[in-house]
Amino acid sequence: MTFEAVDICKAFDGFEVLRNVSMSMPLDGLIGLIGPNGAGKSTLFSVISGFMPPSSGHVTFDGVSMNGMSASTRARAGMVRTFQVPKEFSHLSVRENLMAAAPGQAGENLTGLFLRPGLVRRQEDGLRKRADAVISFLRLDRVADSSAGLLSGGQKKLLELGRALMVEPKLILLDEPFAGVNPVLIGEIMERIRELNGRGIGFLIIEHDLDALTRLVSRLYVMDQGAILAEGEPVAVLADKAVRDAYLGGEA
Amino acid sequence: MYFAQLAVNGLVQGLVISLAAMSITLVFGIVRFPNAATGDVMTVGAFSGLIVYPLTGSLLLSGVFAVAVAAAVALASHLLVFRRLAGRSVVALLVASIGVGFVLRSIMGLAFGHQPMVFSMPLSRPYRLGGLAINPLDLQLALLALVMLVLAFAILHLTPIGRQMRAVADNPALARVSGIRSGRVMAALWVLAGAIVGAGGVMLGVKTVVGPEMGWDMLMPAFAAAIFGGIGSPAGALLAGFILGVAQEMSTPFVGFTYKIALSFAIMLIVLLKRPSGLLGRIEGVR
Repeated sequence: MTFEAVDICKAFDGFEVLRNVSMSMPLDGLIGLIGPNGAGKSTLFSVISGFMPPSSGHVTFDGVSMNGMSASTRARAGMVRTFQVPKEFSHLSVRENLMAAAPGQAGENLTGLFLRPGLVRRQEDGLRKRADAVISFLRLDRVADSSAGLLSGGQKKLLELGRALMVEPKLILLDEPFAGVNPVLIGEIMERIRELNGRGIGFLIIEHDLDALTRLVSRLYVMDQGAILAEGEPVAVLADKAVRDAYLGGEA
Repeated sequence: MYFAQLAVNGLVQGLVISLAAMSITLVFGIVRFPNAATGDVMTVGAFSGLIVYPLTGSLLLSGVFAVAVAAAVALASHLLVFRRLAGRSVVALLVASIGVGFVLRSIMGLAFGHQPMVFSMPLSRPYRLGGLAINPLDLQLALLALVMLVLAFAILHLTPIGRQMRAVADNPALARVSGIRSGRVMAALWVLAGAIVGAGGVMLGVKTVVGPEMGWDMLMPAFAAAIFGGIGSPAGALLAGFILGVAQEMSTPFVGFTYKIALSFAIMLIVLLKRPSGLLGRIEGVR
């Protein structure tokens, strides 16, 4: 039960954004990924989650190679990502946003709707229950029926996490879950992540808030200029001279 | 009382505009182009109803048949033309839809000729309500329109496919990422858009005369209502259709039959100058 990225390379017009990036983690791990802006972290996420094909290298998930799989196929296999800038269906309610995140229902075409109304209703009820469970887990009850576009930045981050949870994932890739979120809500989001991890869901987290991140994760990968610079225990990694030079400008 | 009577007449007219505008606004919100073939699909609905009505004598059956045929034609236009142009510019799709409209109009001209035809409805005594005369036929037509509108809103807001339609309209990229299959959503959307406008065709045919140009002539008021209501907003299209229909009828004593359409456009212009996004919000995101 591991997740592995092996020798991932990605080049745009000859410019190498990722150079032989390899990482591996247990599927129930809680791993951080840091690095200066432009180090290639988000690009790595995009390649891993199937939004971009790598130039070379491959990703295996739970022993299965994911090369050539689309993002939605990977999501159905249990690997989902969130986005640095939260995305939402702004005119749909929070509950509808969550329900829309779990496709594959009978009511998704008109024939199913009219020919099998009983099945559609049962699935809708089940889906609504799951959405409501996610809503109360994330403490979003008060805004469940508001348009998602009206949520605060932090609530949108929670909604991103909720959308990921709706596909019953094994591994969630979080892209800067704490960016632009107030400190109280950061604690809240960390708490939810720990709880989910306790249930066996793995996390790979890109985050610039090192303080919060090192309290959360058990292992840290550092990227710089498209390559892995260091990995290991958070405290040890952050003490590393090369890491401090690259990431912290040598001062911290 | 005279004006109250005109307002009542305008409501039925308004329902026809509402149905056409709603079809336009749904397609615009999700496929993102103004479909100029909407009026001609409406005409298809009117002719379909006209074929069935003498055979059955039932307005309901005519309406159901018209809705089915118009839905099938709209779906075919999607499968044969618009789907293949996905990702092209709005102008390319608009021009293509004008072409689809031409083709439909020509086929109907060839098949039915250009002589105006009518639904030969039995005469009926209007209900008296206060001083208002309400035609039972108008009531039936209004009922047909309301059923279509309720059905459309129910599908949009109470079903999984409707949720997905709104999701695609709201954020197409996120919808794709979420694994929503846009092919199915599009097919369902076109069936819905065709069905709505098919019902409008029967209504218009019963109220006026049926000819190959009838739907094309409705296109401008329908576009006006769709924009007026806030393009992409089905509820806005409904409301704007009513307002335009009533305004047209009520202005007839002042400006005459010929200019009533001009007046509704004047109203639309004034509203849009004050409120460029139209009456109501939209189902798509602002971007």
